Amino acid sequence: MAILEIRHLTHIFPNGTIALNDINLSVEAGEFVVIAGANGSGKTALLRHLNGLLRPTSGEVLLEGVPIAKDLTRARRKIGLIFQNSDNQIVGQTVSEDVAFGPENLNLSREEVDRLVKEILEAVGLSDLACRQPHTLSGGQKKRLAVAGVLAMRPQIIAFDEPFVALDYQGVLQVLSQIVDLHRKGHTILVVTHDLEKVLAHATRLIIMEKGRIVRDGDPARLIGDVETYGIKKPSGESVETMTWLS
Amino acid sequence: MAELTLFHYIAKKTLIHGMDGRIKLICMILFTMAVGFSQKGLDLAVLTAVLLMVYMAAGLSIKRLMTEIRYFLVLIGIIVVAHSFTIPGTAIPGLPVQGMTWEGLRSGLLFGWRLMLMLIIGNIMTGTTSFSLFKNVVEWFLRPVPFIPAARVAMMFSLTLVLIPVIFDQASEMLDAQKARCIDGRKNPIARISFLAGPLLFHTFMRADEIVQAMESRCYSEVRTPTAFQTTPTDWLLLGFTVAACLMVLLI
Repeated sequence: MAILEIRHLTHIFPNGTIALNDINLSVEAGEFVVIAGANGSGKTALLRHLNGLLRPTSGEVLLEGVPIAKDLTRARRKIGLIFQNSDNQIVGQTVSEDVAFGPENLNLSREEVDRLVKEILEAVGLSDLACRQPHTLSGGQKKRLAVAGVLAMRPQIIAFDEPFVALDYQGVLQVLSQIVDLHRKGHTILVVTHDLEKVLAHATRLIIMEKGRIVRDGDPARLIGDVETYGIKKPSGESVETMTWLS
Repeated sequence: MAELTLFHYIAKKTLIHGMDGRIKLICMILFTMAVGFSQKGLDLAVLTAVLLMVYMAAGLSIKRLMTEIRYFLVLIGIIVVAHSFTIPGTAIPGLPVQGMTWEGLRSGLLFGWRLMLMLIIGNIMTGTTSFSLFKNVVEWFLRPVPFIPAARVAMMFSLTLVLIPVIFDQASEMLDAQKARCIDGRKNPIARISFLAGPLLFHTFMRADEIVQAMESRCYSEVRTPTAFQTTPTDWLLLGFTVAACLMVLLI
């Protein structure tokens, strides 16, 4: 059974703009899916339906066969969403407090929250910055903190919305290696990006969106030749294996 | 005032920093009440000595306090002058301006002194207590109050504190961007403010909306893991010391 299934998902904004138009998608556990598309193609709207931040005009999203609308807390625990702008995702006054935000919302015991925070900060390499105020962190560190905040909820699926935007070279490397590591550890990964050259080598599947529809879906090596047709820059080089910033 | 570090948290490992936040807040409230009810200069002198002792025990810099408190001297000066002219009594002779009284001057000086001590109390509290701990303490005290959603108030308090530096950064960036497009050439201050305020408000509301979504995506709930406070014998001793000092000033 697919871990995530989207059936006939349509979303129309109040001003009449069709953000998503009859999306059908099925994601298996352990997949690494890159979702690409030009601006306004519906990528972010799609992600925000996965944990119920946007409600569909029609259609449904199922997590392990259960509609997410039936239990939003469960969906939000199991599907972690990393926003494009990390500043907007950080709500704690210190790094450790921000990581604790999710587990505290789940009303876990104080000991469990403290244990999770310590463990996750170590895992993302932010232990030394636990007492720092988040707005003093670098772009890459903020993104890692956003990931840490989501990891503290123990999600199965992690969805990244444009994870490389506004990051310098080192920041991209840090975030990319973190994404690859999470996939290696068994998480299902969804990455929304138009920066294929940074990440495509690690993807098991490429989905291309245009005007709210999925127009292509399949093996990255098979689809890479067509991306420019949909307004996405094709990375230099012929082989998909070279399309990564990790050496 | 941008370089003002008064009321900023300064992370240190001192007796005052390590106090249970709840006891610390009670102590500060007691000191504030003692300052407020003191009528004589001697009372205020005793409180000043005690508070400066606490200030030093907290590892806060008295030199910096003296430097930064000067911003408030203007306000205190205005208060002293206002009291001197408005409180009836014996006129001070030999002044070029008529109407100042000894009683008014005394009252103004005592009022200004009280204000300075309250600034010191506020600075001890904020300088030794992180915002997050302060928020948790406020939430703890509000919890038994009926009809007040303590968790929501604490979260609003926390978000405000998180957003303030972000909004300032945003405003500074917008100002720089406008300067780069020669906003300095416009002499009308209202036009300049409107060019900044409009986009800043728009961005702030957009950001607030995004933060709400981010919080929702992390299962925001008002039924949250409560903060664990730990009161040690030292906290009770410090509370006892505070009560004794305040009683001594008010009753003797």
